[in-house]
Amino acid sequence: MAVFFRWLDERLDLVRAKRELLDREVPDRLTWWHTLGSATLTVFLVQVITGTVLATYYSASPDHAYDSIRFVTGEVASGALLRGIHHWGASAMVVLILAHMIRVFSVGAYKYPREVNWVLGVGLFLIVMGFSFTGYLLPWDQKAYWATAVGTNIAGTTPVIGGALVALLRGGSELGTATLARFYAFHVLWLPLILTVLVALHITVVVRQGIAARPRDLETGAPKSTRDPKYPEYYHAAYLASKRGGVRFWPDILGKDAIVSAATVLVLVLLAALLGAPLEAPADPTDTSYVPRPEWYFLPIYQLLKLVPGSLEAAIAVGVPSILLIVLIGLPFFDRGSTRNLLHRPVAMVSLAVLLGGAGFLIGAAGQAPTATAEGAALTSVQRAGRALYQAQQCGGCHRISGQGGEEGPDLTSVGLRHSAGWLHSFVESPSRFHEQSRMPSYGPPALSHQEIEELAQYLATLRGREQRGAPAPQFYDTFPAPRRP
Amino acid sequence: MATETPGIAAVGRRAFLRWATAIGGAASALLAGVPAVRAFLSPTFRHRREEKWIRLGEVDQFDPDVPTKLDFVDTVHDAWVESRRLRNVWIYTEDGENFRVYNGRCTHLGCNYFLDEEKNVFRCPCHTGFFGIKTGEVLGGPPPRPLDTLEVKVENGALYARYQDFHLGVPEKAEV
Repeated sequence: MAVFFRWLDERLDLVRAKRELLDREVPDRLTWWHTLGSATLTVFLVQVITGTVLATYYSASPDHAYDSIRFVTGEVASGALLRGIHHWGASAMVVLILAHMIRVFSVGAYKYPREVNWVLGVGLFLIVMGFSFTGYLLPWDQKAYWATAVGTNIAGTTPVIGGALVALLRGGSELGTATLARFYAFHVLWLPLILTVLVALHITVVVRQGIAARPRDLETGAPKSTRDPKYPEYYHAAYLASKRGGVRFWPDILGKDAIVSAATVLVLVLLAALLGAPLEAPADPTDTSYVPRPEWYFLPIYQLLKLVPGSLEAAIAVGVPSILLIVLIGLPFFDRGSTRNLLHRPVAMVSLAVLLGGAGFLIGAAGQAPTATAEGAALTSVQRAGRALYQAQQCGGCHRISGQGGEEGPDLTSVGLRHSAGWLHSFVESPSRFHEQSRMPSYGPPALSHQEIEELAQYLATLRGREQRGAPAPQFYDTFPAPRRP
Repeated sequence: MATETPGIAAVGRRAFLRWATAIGGAASALLAGVPAVRAFLSPTFRHRREEKWIRLGEVDQFDPDVPTKLDFVDTVHDAWVESRRLRNVWIYTEDGENFRVYNGRCTHLGCNYFLDEEKNVFRCPCHTGFFGIKTGEVLGGPPPRPLDTLEVKVENGALYARYQDFHLGVPEKAEV
């Protein structure tokens, strides 16, 4: 072992690399808040591990995506836990990266000389939001479908390029097969690649510039503005002084990072084990009664849109995030004061408070808003086959479900409350047996096979007026005509 | 280094942090890694085979000494993809009490055989294999083994068979 290590060291100069990377001195008094960045990185690694395995059981096609998610949750060993970790990991990434940004903001660590790394960090934040947005659609359940429908519609309200943007996001005019395929490709190929490169740059810059010292070490006797020609000289002297009597990167800093990271992973696994990951009924593009709610970190903008008049919607939906983004990127370039402590930066303090307070208020308001979300039980494979038949046979040409469809025939929205599957089966087979004047063609063989009629009947029996809250218990009024004598 | 002569406290703290890193790192790797590895290896774990008992009909609807063919639609699960296949079995009884149910596929290459009513034998059209109707024994042609019999049970006057497919073209009857 020692011989091999010496052989390697002779060629790769490992000892010097360790000295420069691990034994390097960093300013003392780094707080536990400094561990947020590394905790984010740890959760990203967890997402890579869990995501890679989940991908081996996933099918990125609308016909099979939902079933493959049910398969991994129900049939694969530890599959439900794995999906739970990935689900909660996504939220953890957002929480940690936001907390990390707030800490950096609070100690003015984005100021000279760390402007570049701040911009890289904003890029990382955008990529993480991109992960959320694309990953959200993959289970292809109601929530996934409708949240993405709304999300892409918001992009469509962008002035001038809106239409092109929607087509680009959806891979066509409608949300469907092409959308799922491209969201999947972005989620597992492009975004991880970009994120990895940005993380590598982000960390390289941290190593080259050193960890920022606490504000007070960089404030006493500083020129008022970081634009002052004397500022760089002042900064480097002050930073060097702050490292005197500092600590070693390993294990003083990394040790703390490891403790917080391990605790984070533990919390993730606990959440996954106790709460799991949600999965609603399969996506149903014809179900207009569904009220979509986005994931919590998109709730502020969701709630904001409800508060503004429709004419302003486009301006708010695209404008507010765009302005916030421009402010974030531009922050280190227009904020040139050399004061770093948040308590001495009134404008920054008030802005942060307003932003966090506003977002918190909107999330709270969105949380209280009533939702008409019916927790639809997942359809069985037979019922889903029936729904496909309903569409394939153009039943909607004459019948309505939840306001969608033709006016010729009776409304089927709550037909499952009035009739049993058995009755529906007999009726579809030969409507004229029940009503001599029925204009509905009989769908008995050979139009549909016996099994197909049963599938259709099973599906129709699930239609129980989902738009009404607290729908009444099923009451059947099945009356069968007297059997026909041959 | 940071301090020329580190104090006892610093040494103690550093030792603690080293251990914390090792234990925390290992714990994180296990917490996320074990479910990931288990899920990845999942297909190699033993799976309970689902038992498909097919209801063939009332016991007294089968005439003695007349083989009856029954078609049914089987739901096949290929991971998360569900498909339906048309399958068939032949039912034979000598006394109306004891039943033999044969898998409808010829043991040679899986063609559907039929009842040759003149000779009262099962005949496979693909390569002219012949089987006896009473025990499914090979009477002629290339089939390597007799017809595959299925497990049978009678419940409440109804006849059930447990449908299984077997490897084709080999002398041993081995479940797929």
